[in-house]
Amino acid sequence: MKKTLALLLIALIAMTSVFANGASETSAAAGTTATSGVATTGDGLMVGMVTDSGTIDDRSFNQGTWEGVNRAAQELGLTATYLRPNGTTTGDYTTAIYDLYDQGYRFIACPGYLFEDAIKEVQASGDCDDLMLVIFDSNLGENCGPNTVSVSWKEQESGFLAGVATAVDIVEGSVGFVGGIEIPAVQKFNWGFQQGVAYANANYGTAIEMDPNNFVYSGSFADLALGGQLATAMYDSGVDVIFAAAGGTGVGVINEAKSRRLAGQDVWAVGVDVDQYSVGDMGNGESCILTSAMKYIDKAAYDLVYAAYNGTFPGGTNMLLGADTEDLGIPTENPNLSDATMEIVAQVEQMIINGEISVQDNAEGLIP
Amino acid sequence: MAKERLLKEHKAGSLLVSLTAVVAGILAGCILLLVLGRNPMEAMRLIIHGSVSDPRRIGNTIAVATQLILIGLSVAFGYKAGLINIGGSGQMLVGGCVASLWAYYGQGIPRPLYLVIIVVSGAIAGGLWGFISGFLKAKFNVHEVVSCIMLNWTALWIIYETIPAFMVDPSVASRSASVPAAQSLRTPLLSQFFPRSYINWGIIIAIAMVFVIAFILNKTTLGYQLKAVGANRFCAEYAGIKVSRNIIISMTIAGALSGIAGVTYYCGYSNMIYRNQMPNEGFDGIAVALLGNCNPVGVFFAALFFAILKAGKGSLGAGAGIPPEIADTIIAVIIYFSATSVLFRRLWDRLFHGMYEKKLGKMNIKAAGPSSDVER
Repeated sequence: MKKTLALLLIALIAMTSVFANGASETSAAAGTTATSGVATTGDGLMVGMVTDSGTIDDRSFNQGTWEGVNRAAQELGLTATYLRPNGTTTGDYTTAIYDLYDQGYRFIACPGYLFEDAIKEVQASGDCDDLMLVIFDSNLGENCGPNTVSVSWKEQESGFLAGVATAVDIVEGSVGFVGGIEIPAVQKFNWGFQQGVAYANANYGTAIEMDPNNFVYSGSFADLALGGQLATAMYDSGVDVIFAAAGGTGVGVINEAKSRRLAGQDVWAVGVDVDQYSVGDMGNGESCILTSAMKYIDKAAYDLVYAAYNGTFPGGTNMLLGADTEDLGIPTENPNLSDATMEIVAQVEQMIINGEISVQDNAEGLIP
Repeated sequence: MAKERLLKEHKAGSLLVSLTAVVAGILAGCILLLVLGRNPMEAMRLIIHGSVSDPRRIGNTIAVATQLILIGLSVAFGYKAGLINIGGSGQMLVGGCVASLWAYYGQGIPRPLYLVIIVVSGAIAGGLWGFISGFLKAKFNVHEVVSCIMLNWTALWIIYETIPAFMVDPSVASRSASVPAAQSLRTPLLSQFFPRSYINWGIIIAIAMVFVIAFILNKTTLGYQLKAVGANRFCAEYAGIKVSRNIIISMTIAGALSGIAGVTYYCGYSNMIYRNQMPNEGFDGIAVALLGNCNPVGVFFAALFFAILKAGKGSLGAGAGIPPEIADTIIAVIIYFSATSVLFRRLWDRLFHGMYEKKLGKMNIKAAGPSSDVER
């Protein structure tokens, strides 16, 4: 047995030394390439993405970012990949960023404010000054490094448009809101939605009720069951439309709306971030999604990959995207909305762009 | 004498079994890579590159290993007494939460004393969580797996409410405010060797715990009693060992170890706690303990092995041009093949048994021969 053990140990040591040799070779190679220039623009550029908590097919932020990055990469013939970190600690995120960097990726998109600390650390390390970093849903302000872009949206405008669309379409009834965790991006959707409904009540003769009890934060972006429970309670209490800005928890809300519609009840859900029409697909060609309050994250990611490719990456800027640059809004195709509703929404959108309507981004006078 | 020794049947040693499992795991991962049309050697090289190719990465790999060692010890310790502690995640959370509270409110305490306080209080909090499971098992025969899972969620939701109440980050509601660097377990003493890594005092604590647990298990009456309870509860009872008491002690110590893991994770490797997030380490620790054959030293090396895989995963995903889900799968295949060491123990035992039979057969032939001196 001793002999077998010795043999096994020798084999293992041999294997490790072989791998270790290989490793030292690449680190040497990486060292030279880092100085002598892996492509940071043009055809050799490699574009990457690190996912936030959740999977790549979350039908929300991760997916939107990846679709934008991947579409641009395919059009330009660039190598693109994404990494899923071990966890959501700053360490897990920086490790993922370095892993991509070491393999030659010079453009990395990070969807979500959770990346803020990781990005600050990577910037401060000075290890990868030629790395173009993009963070979505965050405003880094003065912490935005010379080669970093932070992107945030005026979610309130998108929520406003969805609110107007909802109110005008159902004319009278009651609406509710299920949010994920109380973070500014979700709150601004909520506040905008309330203002939109109120605006329709005041200007388009609708009579929509908003009961503060029906505006809740579930505290989770991933609790399908909880979303279903909250939706059940709201629909039972007479709510007709729920705006679900809660990732996976929101899918629970949508599922509840789906089963109620299939049972003949006239209830709806409003999606968030991306066009969630397909999430609400009831299997008969119809969907329980009235409309979605979108941020065109894929467009932003797509544009930034192009900018990096062309050497015009706007490093050091904090972008705030709104209706004026067509970076948010409700989907162009809304099978569940009437043409008249769409027309009104288009008018309202134009007024936001012109500045005739300004949507506040705080809770003043609203249900918080 | 020599002949008599030959007649003894070999049993597979723990080291042999664990190493076989590791080799089998790596082979399985390689086969999967081959099926995918990738070069396994290249993939292994990428894993090694991601985990140990420079000081920062080595430091981070050690930092990842820290939690795995402690949780692995926790699971192993419970297992010795026949208990399956899958409450490591919850115990980590409460331990980390208590330590974080000290970090926010205990500023100004002299650092050596402060470090002792957070580690001890984390251990107490984790130990309390373990105690509840042990108590329920001992007094009401509630299976520890059930109570551990429930307590994981209890911990999660308590922390969910604790963070906004006591450790609020005004800008982001989904996590606690970050622990100031001066209040974390990170220390320049270690960081200077591994610049910009997340290595912290935790690894020293973890190594110390390896010896403490080994000592308890092998050199104390308590350890003997725990092992007796684990081997056969009823026999131990018959022999006069207080089974209930030992179950409670075992779960409490296991919980305390996980609690310390929480301290090293939330105040060392990370510097904040996320609301509504169950740490994976609690479950990874089970695999670590199994691969390490529930032996403290074995757990230590198993944790290092797992940490290398975990740390190298991203590099594999980025470099091999495979989707990260596949990279995850490969790592998972290696890990879970490695955790099936029990199978390999049987395999080796059967092999050794075969060899023994063969030898025995030969000796019998010899013994039957006229010129044999066995009779003498």
